[in-house]
Amino acid sequence: MTRLIPDWEIRITNFGLGYILMCLIVAIAATNTGNNGLYLMLAGMLASMTVSGVLSRRNVRGVSCEIEPIGEVVATRPALLRVRFRNHLRTGTAQALFFLHEGLPGPLWVDPLKPGERREIVVEGRFPRRGVVRLPDAGLLSRFPMGLFRKYRRASLPREIVVYPLPESSRVPETPPEDARGGRPHAFRRGGGFDIRTLRDFTPGDDPRDMHWKQSARMRRWIVREREAERDRAIVLSIDNALADPSDPAALEALEHAISRCAAQTLVLLSRGGEVGFQARGVSVFPQVGRPQSGRVLEALARLEAIPGDGAPPFPPLRRGDHRVTVT
Amino acid sequence: MSGQAESPGLPSGLRRAYVEALAPAAIAAPVPLYFTEGVSAKALALYELALLFLWWRARRGRPVRLPDLALNLAGLAYFLVLGFEVSVLRHGLLRCVSHLLLFTALAKLASIKSAGEARTALLVLFLLTLAAASSSTHVSSLLYFAAMALLAFQALARLAILADFEQAPPERVLRSVPTVAVSAAGIAGAAVLCVPLFYGLPRLKGPYAIAPFRLDDSFSTTLAADRVDLESFGAAKRSDRVVLRLTADAADWKRVVRLREAVFTEYRNGVWTRRPASVRQGPWVPPDRPPRGGREPVRIDLNLFAKGFLFLPYGVQTLHLAEGRSAYPLSDGLLQASPGRRTLAYEVGLGRPVPARGIGVSAIDPESVPREIREYAAKLVGEEKDPAAVYTRIQNHLRKDFVYTLDPPAARGDALVDFVLRSRAGHCEYFASAAAMMLAARGIPARLVTGSYGGEVGLFSRSIVVRGGNLHAWVEADLDGTGFGVLDPTPPGGLPPATSRGSFLRRLASLGREIEFFYDRRILGFEALDQQRIFEAAREQLSSAAQVASDWKGAWTAGAGAIKRWLGLLALAGALLILGREWRRRRQRLPPATKAYVAVRGLLARRIGFVSPSTPPAEIARRFGESLPEAGEDASAVVEVYCASAFGGREVDPGTERELFERVRRLRRLAS
Repeated sequence: MTRLIPDWEIRITNFGLGYILMCLIVAIAATNTGNNGLYLMLAGMLASMTVSGVLSRRNVRGVSCEIEPIGEVVATRPALLRVRFRNHLRTGTAQALFFLHEGLPGPLWVDPLKPGERREIVVEGRFPRRGVVRLPDAGLLSRFPMGLFRKYRRASLPREIVVYPLPESSRVPETPPEDARGGRPHAFRRGGGFDIRTLRDFTPGDDPRDMHWKQSARMRRWIVREREAERDRAIVLSIDNALADPSDPAALEALEHAISRCAAQTLVLLSRGGEVGFQARGVSVFPQVGRPQSGRVLEALARLEAIPGDGAPPFPPLRRGDHRVTVT
Repeated sequence: MSGQAESPGLPSGLRRAYVEALAPAAIAAPVPLYFTEGVSAKALALYELALLFLWWRARRGRPVRLPDLALNLAGLAYFLVLGFEVSVLRHGLLRCVSHLLLFTALAKLASIKSAGEARTALLVLFLLTLAAASSSTHVSSLLYFAAMALLAFQALARLAILADFEQAPPERVLRSVPTVAVSAAGIAGAAVLCVPLFYGLPRLKGPYAIAPFRLDDSFSTTLAADRVDLESFGAAKRSDRVVLRLTADAADWKRVVRLREAVFTEYRNGVWTRRPASVRQGPWVPPDRPPRGGREPVRIDLNLFAKGFLFLPYGVQTLHLAEGRSAYPLSDGLLQASPGRRTLAYEVGLGRPVPARGIGVSAIDPESVPREIREYAAKLVGEEKDPAAVYTRIQNHLRKDFVYTLDPPAARGDALVDFVLRSRAGHCEYFASAAAMMLAARGIPARLVTGSYGGEVGLFSRSIVVRGGNLHAWVEADLDGTGFGVLDPTPPGGLPPATSRGSFLRRLASLGREIEFFYDRRILGFEALDQQRIFEAAREQLSSAAQVASDWKGAWTAGAGAIKRWLGLLALAGALLILGREWRRRRQRLPPATKAYVAVRGLLARRIGFVSPSTPPAEIARRFGESLPEAGEDASAVVEVYCASAFGGREVDPGTERELFERVRRLRRLAS
């Protein structure tokens, strides 16, 4: 499949080459005959080529194009992208522009933009793989005005686009029982559990049953026990991203599958109210609950890259009570 | 024709768009060929009608699509037509090729199956335009060029858009491009650029067509200068062809109103001829250009007709011909241009105002005056002996009893005798001839002079355009022994208007002539010599500019050393400021933690060589620690903050930011 998005900024078209050839033919004819009509035509053709270059450059460079995703972007799934065009030219309508994006079936026609005009469109695009997109595979293409050159201007991203891995269904690990080895994990936050977190001065609203009488008597002011929140055992999903040969396609594919499965498990566990974290070699996301945590884990998965097995850093240590599940 | 047949490659809507984009240019492209007889009227009419039909079908949404079989049959049939055209009709090469191009253009437009075929149709149209442009020499070609520029710009802009469509674009797409403003700007820009390119492109051969003033018989006969026919002069005076253009100070207009071209002293049967003794005497070396600061020279741009006699005002002191040209002096102060181009530019220096006197001594031989004229003069003048009184009597008689007309009745016998004795109606040539003959008959040295009188002040300049209507004839006679003075017996009503601006309509009409003059002289007849003059003028301008610059340089080196140093420093400071801002702008794009991490990566790469882009942050910290153990803690701290910021979404507070930069600075120190 030919690549839709060019990796150049300017390229002469076949028509442009033909035009140059015609210029040469007319030049030879004019020089040989001394026909000033041909000289006039040749001068006109050369002048048109110059004017075409200037107009074309102005037309494409005068317009900025910014792309921003609307919501989360998941690999291979349709994603809504907000595309903002702005004509920075004070005079001159930007015209004959096409918006290109890998996710679109073909070039998208952009109606002429008047001087200073801003326009916003929403397109549906697809990103083929997970990862972080810093330079978008999108931009503006124009052959304006005479089709001699194709000029391309890459769109800009106000911020990078993180493409989450596509979740792949797999068996979800069970949350370990509370009496499992390793003890109960600390919540590291205030709550109504059994463990005493600290002693502090009484403040209105504190439960009188938490009053620490002995200490109050000793300190001659009201002291209460502050308790730690109850916390279930957390699951830390881990992926071994150290590969013996990081260029091995089979190993890389297996890693991608592991990442997809890990994404699915994270989402399921978090939706059940579980506390989930993620670890890989050199990467760690502390276990937490809730929707923001899914974003953190998925982003870490999106950014995860394979590293060589030799000298790969170890997995970060687990906190007390956390339970590591290696996803393969 | 199977308009309904669907082409395998190109959707009908897209084919329609291609036809609509190309049709206007296709209609206009071959039109000039009709006027240059490059195509026959029937072929052109057939082509235009067929094209209009194709366009109409396309606009109705049902573009014509000829099946391949029909196309092949038509192509084969055209071979027969071509053979018939060449062998039987014996059309020239241009016409045969043009007809073939018309046929090909039609066939292509009626069978566009892909974008490539549309481009082929465009190529055929280009060839048609090329044929039209290269064979046209009329000034209206400029209009054609302008129209084709507009149509071609539109067609190319639309084809450029269609190249990226795989289906028919919506109606609004092609309508919106190109906008009028962009078209106007593009064509104006191209026209401006076209001028230096046209004049700068190298010329190896002489011009294909030189100042094509289409001479009619009367014009060439009248301006033959060796021979003037009385009867054809009137027809020449009706012509509005531009004879010359003259540029002079308004103060000098009265002195250049009468331009002398040729002197005649021999008359026989209605035809004036020059005396055989008046032959060329060898090349004439023009004097130097008049010194600067004196009176502005009179510039004359002459279309040379027939023998190429120069039109010169009375009182000429200096003459400067255009480079590469020379003139041959003849008797009676006449100059004949050397053979070559049929245009000539020259400058004439006038002395202080004195009464106009004709140069030379040749005069009409009294014996050659026809007997009838001699008797008529004797009867008219009687016993009067004073030359001035004789002329006054002749002039009064001619003005009172004769009628000025450009259409004299057909003469029976000698035209001049017929004029004097019978018709008594004629134009300036008759009046001047009659006066000169009668003066000669009375023994007064006289001769007939032809040239021009008056002209029109140019529309956009202080130049005077002299046309066929300004051609005139008068008499030079020696009445008082001081030389040949100018006598004009023509009635005032017969004198051409002297330096008139004319009515608005006439001025408007003269605009066309000005353009024609410009096109013929500056475009069609432009050649290597003209180019050389332009370059020479540019070189002179440059050298004078260089002189001015060198004067400034002298003043600069003389006393501006300190200023120079300060300006240099200011420029350096400005450049540093701009560079610094740019550097800061680039640095500030990244968040602080990322910036610190990038710096750490850079330091590691500098230390160990290559660091793969896929190396994760923790690995960076580990390798940094391995290569530089004392820096390991700082590197780990930077990486930790980076991971928390980039992956964990944690904001970096100002304190942490300061700490990060402290660590990076420390790492830099250690790494170095």
